[in-house]
Amino acid sequence: MILVLIDILIATVPLMVIFASLFAFTTWLERKALARIQNRIGPNKVGIPCTRISLFGLGQPAADGIKMLFKEDIVPRGADRLFHLLAPILALIPAMLVLCFLPLEFPWTKSLLPVQAFLLDGAVIFFFAITGLNTLAVFMAGWASRNKYSLLGGMRAVAQMVSYEIPLVLSAVIVVMMVGSLNAAVIADAQTGFNWFVFSPWGFAAFIIFFIAALAETNRSPFDLPEAESEIIAGYFTEYSGFKFALFFLGEYIAMFAISGLAVTLFLGGGDGPGVTMNLVDQGLATEAFPGLTVIWFLMKIFALIAVMIWLRGTLPRLRVDQLMGFAWKFMLPLSILNIFIAGSALHLMAGDRLADLDETQPVLRQLMEGANLPVVAGLWIGALLILYVAAKGLNQLNRPNVRPREYKYAE
Amino acid sequence: MNEEIAFWILSAIALLGALVAVRKRNLIHGVFALLVFFAGLSGLFLLLLAEFIAAVQVLVYIGAVGVLLLFAIMLTERVAGDDDRRMTSRGWFWGLVVALAVFVVLLLPAITSPQNQQLSSPEAAQTIKPSVEELGKKLMDPYVVTLEVLALLLTAALIGAVTAAQGVRMPKEEDSPE
Repeated sequence: MILVLIDILIATVPLMVIFASLFAFTTWLERKALARIQNRIGPNKVGIPCTRISLFGLGQPAADGIKMLFKEDIVPRGADRLFHLLAPILALIPAMLVLCFLPLEFPWTKSLLPVQAFLLDGAVIFFFAITGLNTLAVFMAGWASRNKYSLLGGMRAVAQMVSYEIPLVLSAVIVVMMVGSLNAAVIADAQTGFNWFVFSPWGFAAFIIFFIAALAETNRSPFDLPEAESEIIAGYFTEYSGFKFALFFLGEYIAMFAISGLAVTLFLGGGDGPGVTMNLVDQGLATEAFPGLTVIWFLMKIFALIAVMIWLRGTLPRLRVDQLMGFAWKFMLPLSILNIFIAGSALHLMAGDRLADLDETQPVLRQLMEGANLPVVAGLWIGALLILYVAAKGLNQLNRPNVRPREYKYAE
Repeated sequence: MNEEIAFWILSAIALLGALVAVRKRNLIHGVFALLVFFAGLSGLFLLLLAEFIAAVQVLVYIGAVGVLLLFAIMLTERVAGDDDRRMTSRGWFWGLVVALAVFVVLLLPAITSPQNQQLSSPEAAQTIKPSVEELGKKLMDPYVVTLEVLALLLTAALIGAVTAAQGVRMPKEEDSPE
């Protein structure tokens, strides 16, 4: 009993500590990067206390954290006190919970391998199921605050998350088709040796769709309508202050890490990289040059995706509500369904007459690539890319807004 | 031992959630209590090593049905969601009797069947293959027609719902550049 508890702590505490400290670092990185994009300097004063060392402002997250802790916690008079308290907690829990479905194997968890959550047969489904709970937390916050703007933000968030979950899941289906398993470790294992799924045309398209939908799922700019400060103040957390607000912030960033981690697992090879060989068959997730190398590769890939998110936030303006919904239902959804068709038919054509003697326990794509006719594969891949490109262009053309050129009455 | 403790905790959560969901007059509180009940149920499925059903329980019931309920409340007029009076109903006694009867009918076969006394849960886990894989094979091989028909039905329902929600369409205005 005690031993089980200790094992649970060994497996979970490092995840929470590592990702929470990465959160602190990311807030600094984001402020710095956004500042450079906007031709500012960003935080540069706070460093080691009581000295004049500023370390490029790296002490800023700690200062922010302390500030949040000591701020007054204000609950509006009309608010539902219980739900107002529970919402930030409910926002954080699912984000933290899904981290255990990422195939991260720390050196100290090697002995725990058979009981790791990412080895569940439905790890990917679990991931999507639990990320969906975030919607409820946002709604809860919006409703409990008893504020029109909060409620508007909550409703926007629910509509947006529900819409973008569909392309998110449909693009993950592609990977499941190529592997033949929902187990996160098996998916990472199937991409060993730079056979990342992002390098196949349908995988590439799915990765782009997944990334855009992930931006919308985590309420990142340009999809940050639920918290659009120029329209509805701060959306669902208008009425939150102090540490409750910090919890929302933390939950949002942890969700960002989690969904980037899933993107890395599904499309970018998980912990694969130079010096690492994934082999689930032997003990452990991977053979690595030195312990912890897979984790380092994994986190570096996550950070590459986070950097793109920050870059997009500094570059793109926010969408309008109708543009947001139209983009999800009229562009992303048809494209991801088409992508599934393309992937299915391409895999079928690659298999040819070998379809019957595929080994069910091995990854599908790897088996198909072994002994495949190279010109046929190349033709298929170029054809798939062409179809996807034409489809994306066509959908874009169909979704053109029907607006006239603006008439200037007095300015001619 | 561990499983038993987990079972009791999860059952208590589920029962409490269900009770609050029925007793609360405040609709939003009721919905969230119902979601707590679903979460407890999902934990119980997980305890039975049916992880796919547990995941789908979270995905469909908490993720989809919960959001649907909240949307319905939000879109319904004259439901403010905060009425803190207690719910009382005159037929509660007969309701209780019916609920108990259903409970007993459901539970009797489970208790009396001889198979259940032999197989404890870890043994059952060893004899049963991973559920997701088996389910996928069954869906894609013997039941593929059923699956397709169901998918068609759901798509038809979706299109029907959109058409019904759109109502009568106004004649389109001419929007040529001139």
